[in-house]
Amino acid sequence: MSAFFYGVSLQWKLDIRSKSLLITCYLVPLLFFAIMGGIFTSIMPDSKNTLIQSMTVMGVSMGALIGLPPSLAETYGRDIKKMYQSNGVPLYFGLVSMVLSAFVHLFLMSVLLFLAAPLFFDANVPENIPLYFGSLAVFIVVSLSLGSVLGLACKNQAKLTMISQIFFLPSIMLSGIMFPVDFLPKVLEIAGKIFPASWGYLFMVDYQFENLWPLLWIFLTAILICVFLIKKMKTE
Amino acid sequence: MKAAIQIQHLRKSYGNHTVLKGLDFQVIKGEIFALLGVNGAGKTTALECIEGLREYDSGSIIVNGKMGIQMQSASLPAHIRPMEAIKLFAKWNQTKADPSMLVALGIDELAKKQYIQLSTGQKRRLHLALALIGNPDIIFLDEPTAGLDVEGRVSLHAQIRQLKAQGKTIVLASHDMAEVESLCDRIGILHDGIIAFLGTMEELTAKVGRHYTICIKTEQKEEYFESDDIGNTLLKLLETYKRKHIGIRDLRIDRGTLEQHFLKFAKGERE
Repeated sequence: MSAFFYGVSLQWKLDIRSKSLLITCYLVPLLFFAIMGGIFTSIMPDSKNTLIQSMTVMGVSMGALIGLPPSLAETYGRDIKKMYQSNGVPLYFGLVSMVLSAFVHLFLMSVLLFLAAPLFFDANVPENIPLYFGSLAVFIVVSLSLGSVLGLACKNQAKLTMISQIFFLPSIMLSGIMFPVDFLPKVLEIAGKIFPASWGYLFMVDYQFENLWPLLWIFLTAILICVFLIKKMKTE
Repeated sequence: MKAAIQIQHLRKSYGNHTVLKGLDFQVIKGEIFALLGVNGAGKTTALECIEGLREYDSGSIIVNGKMGIQMQSASLPAHIRPMEAIKLFAKWNQTKADPSMLVALGIDELAKKQYIQLSTGQKRRLHLALALIGNPDIIFLDEPTAGLDVEGRVSLHAQIRQLKAQGKTIVLASHDMAEVESLCDRIGILHDGIIAFLGTMEELTAKVGRHYTICIKTEQKEEYFESDDIGNTLLKLLETYKRKHIGIRDLRIDRGTLEQHFLKFAKGERE
């Protein structure tokens, strides 16, 4: 157990040293918030009610779908996985430690947004703070599960960057955080429902359980795919 | 002699391509053993099967002792520090991290550098330190001195000999024939999925003979002589030069290397 906790804490430190994760988990989301937060609240004063949630969805989606997959691909696509095998460490150790570490980073970034939004843009704080952070935790976990599938499935970094964008951009554009989904054509509105960002945003705004179930389905499907991909790696 | 590793009828295929076609050999406890083979001979597959990193189709592998594996470069996260890697491996092996290992391997001053900032030689030494965590009985070294300068090679060779002196069994994979010749007690040459030769350097020499090239440099020219009988040929040549009153400025003898023999086996010429 001590090895597990040391591994996770070490991964957390490695993520801080890795500039790519710092950029995707902190720098870009906070810069996006600093620029778009001002624009949103100026042109749509109502957006103050959901600014924290929408900026958080963007930041979490970026960290989980753009930041995590390359780190996973680096570990499982190269000799690093042999490091686990040669020491009798289960192959899923890398995945679990990276996901836990990324969870902490994304949660911290979300807390920063939560504290900064009311201060800088007069954003409204969610009424039920414990429930907000509970729903945020669920959304981060589900987003990371989808990022894990991408990182395990694709070992080529160039392809992975493209595929990650295919998941990330619709997550942002079709989830309702930039503009109401009612403005979208029906097809795109339905397409947006495939991504956890849409359900996560709704869940963090109104905490309705009807928005939790789709997230759980996405999470379970992603976990099953991850288990399959890791088992496949063992026999490769 | 007790076997540290016993391989019997080991077979492994990738799809329709059979890489190992019934491998049989043993590594004796306390020896330095090298498995040689040209690229594609199945050397890496065989070693990975023994190390437990790859599943095999049939046959048996018996390993008597704890294994330590020196991984190749790029098998650690880019931003990890040497001491952190040692602590992590120590925890996985349920033992205490020993910083003196870094001192012994001459990489103690690198403790705070990141893996990505280490030179090839420093990475090799770190990987050796990691392989030694948990006090293994059998150590697998994959191209241990590839990319090292002369000083680094000499230092690492000394460390490998020290491990042998401590009673460790060492299995080496290397393309450096001079290294294999100077370090190993026995070699196995893998060709076309089977062991084409298994034995000591002396046995290999006895089997294939030793061919020498003598180079004699005089005031006027440089002459080369080929011979299988170095003693008699050299004596005769020196007598001839003396009789003709030709001054010798330099003399060089190139003995047939393991590399020459290996290449012959690897090409299947000596089966």
